[in-house]
Amino acid sequence: MRLAALRFPLLVTLAASLLLPVHAAAQDGGDFSHNPDAQKLPTNVILLKGAWSSASDSSTPIPESGKVAESAYHNDYFGLRYALHPGWLEKYAGPPPSDSGYYVLAQLRPADTSKGATRGSLLIVAQDLFFTPAPASNAPELINYAQSHLPADYKVERPPTEIRVAGHSFVRFDYGSPVAEFHWSVLATQVRCHVLEFVFNSRDSKLVENLVQDLDQMKLPLEPGATPGASSGDLPICIKDYATEENVVERVDPVFTERHFNSIPVRVIVDKDGRVKHIHFLSAFPEQAKAIADALFRWRFRPYLRDGQPVEVETGLWFGQMPRRVAAPSAGAVNE
Amino acid sequence: MKAVKRCSVLTSLLFLFFAGAACAQSDPGVRGGAAGAGQPLASVAANTPVTILDFFNDGLGRFSEVDSVSGTIEAGVGLGPRFNSRSCAFCHAQPAVGGTSPFTNPQVTDASADGARNTIPSFVTANGPVREARFPFFFNSNGSPNTNAPNGGVEDLFTITGRSDAGACSLPQPSFAQAQATNNIIFRIPTPVFGAGLIENIDDSTLLANQNAQAGNGLGVSGTFNHNGNDGTISRFGWKAQNKSLLIFAGEAYNVEQGVSNEAFTQERPLPGEDQSTGLPTNCRINGTPEDHTNFNTTALGTSSDVVGFAIFMRLLNQPTPSTTTPGGAASISRGRSLFSAIGCATCHTPSLTTASSSLTAGLNGATANLFSDIEIHHMGTGLADNVSQGGAGGDQFRTSPLWGLGQRIFFLHDGRTANLLAAIEAHQSNGSEATQVEENFDSLSPSQQQDLLNFLRSL
Repeated sequence: MRLAALRFPLLVTLAASLLLPVHAAAQDGGDFSHNPDAQKLPTNVILLKGAWSSASDSSTPIPESGKVAESAYHNDYFGLRYALHPGWLEKYAGPPPSDSGYYVLAQLRPADTSKGATRGSLLIVAQDLFFTPAPASNAPELINYAQSHLPADYKVERPPTEIRVAGHSFVRFDYGSPVAEFHWSVLATQVRCHVLEFVFNSRDSKLVENLVQDLDQMKLPLEPGATPGASSGDLPICIKDYATEENVVERVDPVFTERHFNSIPVRVIVDKDGRVKHIHFLSAFPEQAKAIADALFRWRFRPYLRDGQPVEVETGLWFGQMPRRVAAPSAGAVNE
Repeated sequence: MKAVKRCSVLTSLLFLFFAGAACAQSDPGVRGGAAGAGQPLASVAANTPVTILDFFNDGLGRFSEVDSVSGTIEAGVGLGPRFNSRSCAFCHAQPAVGGTSPFTNPQVTDASADGARNTIPSFVTANGPVREARFPFFFNSNGSPNTNAPNGGVEDLFTITGRSDAGACSLPQPSFAQAQATNNIIFRIPTPVFGAGLIENIDDSTLLANQNAQAGNGLGVSGTFNHNGNDGTISRFGWKAQNKSLLIFAGEAYNVEQGVSNEAFTQERPLPGEDQSTGLPTNCRINGTPEDHTNFNTTALGTSSDVVGFAIFMRLLNQPTPSTTTPGGAASISRGRSLFSAIGCATCHTPSLTTASSSLTAGLNGATANLFSDIEIHHMGTGLADNVSQGGAGGDQFRTSPLWGLGQRIFFLHDGRTANLLAAIEAHQSNGSEATQVEENFDSLSPSQQQDLLNFLRSL
């Protein structure tokens, strides 16, 4: 009975195989296959990512999830809304976050019909202060660092100066390249332990100035460190190096199955009970992210108290190979 | 690409009215005149230390040697059973031995040399770039690429089947047509190796300091390094900086490109996924392994294996000498150099780095390497992504290509897709590329400024 039951599907399979079109046998991985009906790979798509960004859930905003929509750039993580200059657009998306915590959030420019001196660009970038290779713990220090590393043939047009933009404290730094006849204006502020920068560039200094003035219309959270976000409820307090021996009550190390020698910067949000609520991997291979997530969700932190009440904390950790730095970043980076 | 299209449309329109009219800015083309590369380091040419020049010349000879299967037709031993070409110098040829793809593609001759019966794939042409092929993904049994099964290894173009020294070895070539039909194929062209010893002798700390100095650039650039899988230090050779040293680089290339097993890569190499259980057919394993090895029967120069000789040759090659006047004149080149830095190209294409102290020769000791590279790997976006992962580099990450010697190169980018420098620059811009903003800056330059920059690049 059992044999007969097996025999029938075997016969069907055999018959079906005789009816199928004959293809050359796929030999050892298919390097020798021939099938005109085979599926094509899409073009201009990155199918095989290396170390990349990811998160433990898709509902919690992360820095790189901002988008251009309805003529504005929106970023729920930073609580930012910036209305694009008329006729401007985002033609190309930026790269993924780097393993030093650098984000290209948006690359904005006029449509292709605009040429010559009327061309310009706005780069919205962010540097995570938990992971920066620069010795900086706030926006002024990072801008000063950038100034000290300007190419020799650039000319400072306005040294770093504190100004108010859209009701917030910013640092403005202007410089230019006489040979290229370019002007840059960088406006930087600090949100959630990131330096958020608006980098304007054009050969037309008046255009740059107009764009800078436009920035006054953008919306940001009330003040860096303030609790109400633009899109959701309370924001966690960001504290660098919170995951110390003193604050981590239970710690489980991730078990990596492969060695990559890359640095893995990770941001976590710890809830009021001291449990890891959300993990953002800025740059990690998928199996690394899984191993770290498996471990981190078993960690227990000492709840952080503000005015005697526990509050959520956002902090950063390194996994994998610690970055090799020639200059140690300064301590600090806290929004409280 | 768009500038090139714009340029060609404009040219066509102008041609209607002014015969011979040209675009305001254009690639000056391959710089003529004597080769600006291919000589040994000055200290090596001066034979310091004594006999080092003999080692360089011995390495050059080995690098130029043509391989046959058993050394009975051409002097070199160990070709195949799968290979891409028959000599290092066939492909590393422009503008001198050690360079890159020449005007005439040697692979067309390699395909049928000494009786070989290979079909020349359509992507290999007489005047096109030398190419190796890789399939980013393995195929399913029905011939569709399986994106859950990354491959990325080199699919050698040719086999020794039919050669008069190949005996009964009979091997099929990979299904390049199927791979092309399914978009599951990418190409690589040879990287020039001039000045390679200088790159090898740049200390990791120098590279890291250079990386840190770029933090805070307002250009959207933030690269990382590929690392050697054994000791975790920075690797630096190959299109994705996947190889740590010139010895590893030489050993891998000898094995993969010419099919010669050696003391670094000791087995005959099958294709990725090719009968991994038993390996290549017995009748295709014609020589004992490794085919290239230390020669124990001599105490003279010939003692070293070929891969050691290759590494010595590459290590002692001087960096290319740029022209100060061609093309466009000294003033244009000088302006172009300034613009190169001003618009941000130099953020990744670091003009120079200093080597560490060297135990080999003065030319490698604390030397200025004008390489125009940071040796970092950068995301280059969807337009250049090849979906091949090597070491820590993902499908869209590439080492900043050193630009020294660029003026005399014919083909550009990792796959040799263009011989037009403008097109190569434009290809830096696409979704996900770190270079989009810098390329945008290039587009914002005036035509004469763009020409200055092109002249500068072709002077290198």
